[in-house]
Amino acid sequence: MNKYPEEKPPVKPVDPGILPEARTIKLDNRIPVYLLNAGTEDIVRIEFIFKAGNVFEKIPLLASATNAMLNEGTLNYSSSRINKMFDFHGAFINQYTDKDLGGVVIFALHKNLKKILELAREILFLPVFPASELKAMLKKRLRLFLINREKVHNLATDKFYETIFGSDHPYGRQVVADDFNNLEPCMLRDFHKKHYTTGSLAIILSGKINDKVHETINQIFGGLSSRGSSQIKPAENPVLRDSIKTHVKKQDALQTAIRIGSATINKCHPDYPGLKITDMVLGGYFGSRLMKKIREEKGYTYGIYSSVSSLNISGYKVISTEVSKKNTQKAIDEIMKEIRSLQSVPAGRDELNVVRNYMLGELLRMFDGPFAVAESFRSVWQYGLDNSYYYRLAEKIKTIDADEITSLAGTYYNIDELNIITAG
Amino acid sequence: MIQFSRFTLDNGLRILIHEDRSTPLAAINLLYDVGSRDEDPESTGLAHLFEHLMFGGTSEIPEFDRHLQLAGGENNAFTTPDITNYYITLPAENIETGLWLESDRMRNLDLSRKKLEIQKKVVTEEYFQRYLNQPYGDAMILLKSLAYKIHPYRWPTIGRDVSHIKNSGLRKVRDFFYTHYAPNNAILAISGNVKPDKGFSLVQKWFGAIEKRKVATRKIPAEPEQKEARRLVAEKDVPVSALYKAWHMGPRNSQDFHVMDLITDILAGGESGRLKTHLVRKKKIFSDINAYISSDIDPGLIILHGKLMKGVEIEHAEESVRQVINDLKKKYPSSPELEKVKNRFESSLILTNTSILNKAVNLAYYELLGDAEMINREADTFRKTDRKMVMDAANRYLTDTNCSTLYYNSSRQNSR
Repeated sequence: MNKYPEEKPPVKPVDPGILPEARTIKLDNRIPVYLLNAGTEDIVRIEFIFKAGNVFEKIPLLASATNAMLNEGTLNYSSSRINKMFDFHGAFINQYTDKDLGGVVIFALHKNLKKILELAREILFLPVFPASELKAMLKKRLRLFLINREKVHNLATDKFYETIFGSDHPYGRQVVADDFNNLEPCMLRDFHKKHYTTGSLAIILSGKINDKVHETINQIFGGLSSRGSSQIKPAENPVLRDSIKTHVKKQDALQTAIRIGSATINKCHPDYPGLKITDMVLGGYFGSRLMKKIREEKGYTYGIYSSVSSLNISGYKVISTEVSKKNTQKAIDEIMKEIRSLQSVPAGRDELNVVRNYMLGELLRMFDGPFAVAESFRSVWQYGLDNSYYYRLAEKIKTIDADEITSLAGTYYNIDELNIITAG
Repeated sequence: MIQFSRFTLDNGLRILIHEDRSTPLAAINLLYDVGSRDEDPESTGLAHLFEHLMFGGTSEIPEFDRHLQLAGGENNAFTTPDITNYYITLPAENIETGLWLESDRMRNLDLSRKKLEIQKKVVTEEYFQRYLNQPYGDAMILLKSLAYKIHPYRWPTIGRDVSHIKNSGLRKVRDFFYTHYAPNNAILAISGNVKPDKGFSLVQKWFGAIEKRKVATRKIPAEPEQKEARRLVAEKDVPVSALYKAWHMGPRNSQDFHVMDLITDILAGGESGRLKTHLVRKKKIFSDINAYISSDIDPGLIILHGKLMKGVEIEHAEESVRQVINDLKKKYPSSPELEKVKNRFESSLILTNTSILNKAVNLAYYELLGDAEMINREADTFRKTDRKMVMDAANRYLTDTNCSTLYYNSSRQNSR
């Protein structure tokens, strides 16, 4: 039996190195396809993206209902036929609507790719929005909505968006039960016609990709006539508002959900990489100041995180946690103390070193595997950026100093601008 | 096909290494053969509480996370009724840091009263956040305690009650460590950009000196056969009523395991599953419905649950489920339907294998079940299932006398 080693192992500096680049091709009708060739398995991820998020809707639920109804019946197939075909070919489909975009992600095996792409074309461009299916779907979704309204974290998050973006802006507007009665098929058809167009479509294809794969995709999508444009106007930029402190009451809740934050810059702003790092120090990882203080020292919560997120016409930062009702104020006080200390106490060499290496490791993980690569590509492409954003971030991670972090914290975590939302 | 090398150290630690050169990263998965089924019924939740304490540092390395983060790594862990599982992903070049950290906390843990008290608070908040402060959050807890009368699967991994967590003492926690955390009670799997020989010599270097420990012998009472239908009605402050059902099935290593997995996919897989097609879309009885197997090592459960649409009586909802199940018992599934669920399993196995972390987790788990090579046989096992096996298994397990039913009724006036 050997002896337990006395020296700890050497650590090599973490370096994300050269990031995988997407190859851009244009189909015969100019639809852009971004190819990310990676991975070892015979499976591909195909994402179809449209400018069809909440920011384009005039009526609540319109964007998400249109997206959810894509596979509920098309010109040539019933919903049950579509579902059977996707399932039979072992394809996994995920329809999504976020604040800016609407789309569909499909995982398909190479051997079924052609069939699946044909089906995708059908649901994306030939849905008919049958009235009975729409009614059934809205009823179903209303039940789920009512259940979600029982969860303090949803109550707090919705109130947070409303507070920072305004109840009249699609980024901030809250859905209410009545909204589920106000949609008609013609509204969805209209939204679909405007937003799900070949002119605004982008395709991200990742996985094991060979010539046959893009030949197939051109064959199925390249022949569609080009219609619509990518220049659709979203809602006006949300207006800045005064910060508030507010509470959403939930009868008999054991815990209170806390959200503290405000609207902020997005990825396009030169300060964004620095803000990401500042946020990481505060609450972005397990060793963060908030996690150490509120969870590991005080035991107030199972978890606390802060994050910075980009939107196309805004951005926001938010600290999120759930704590026992009796600890709510104590937790808020501690969070505020940590923010103040972020503005005044420079990170030590050791702390900064941990954050640097952890974040560089994160960058590596963000590009590991065919599906992670696609998501990382999407999250810069969406803002008109490319890998140069990640290189700038990596450079900033390596070179930022403690004073710059305190100064960024002073600018972007101004206590007077933070909203405090609680639900419970 | 996932190729791997297998080694065993003198102290009993089993090692599996799968080299994947397509990534700059590596995943380390350390599985301890201990879960909530190994707990004392009077002090449940200990395995999971212990998982939290494993991050509390040792006398050598007071801050586990810090060193891993310095090496660009990320980690977490989970506890199930059967296992406690720790995992790390980090740049492959720094894999030794991961092994150093895992071996250090396997050798000796610095357990203090203070750390224990803090983690008891954290786990109590976790109990609230994940179970008690969620609508329907305690439904599974009620269902399992109805289905199991003796076997420890009757309590949830987080603990039977918050008071169990609050009453965990330092001595019990210490004993738990020395009787369950040992090289001879663990399986270490590595996947990623690591050469097997190199990986093995690093594991030997860091784990080789840890002594074998006397591991507690497992004495788990077998659950007696259920002979009568069990029912429980709960009135809760939730917006809509929900139906929960559970049937007993065989252990993980029985042949029926895969058949039951396929059956639950016939029932609820994808958008075209039978329950969704008939009871959500056509009859509009449920707003959503699901069925799956619990995937436990000892005889587990087939679980089905759904939330009711407005105006539906729960007895009627239950009857509609019974009809779908009876169909399965009387008629063979069509060959396209059987082919469909097999194709779905094939895809999901391939999808799982696109992640080095999943591969490491699964290699360790299959080795615990008896042979890591099973990871490559799963697709085949599903392929070999035929319609007769499906009908037989449905008739064997999905009976009323083998079933526990929970009516999770809404106490609100306007819920129907």
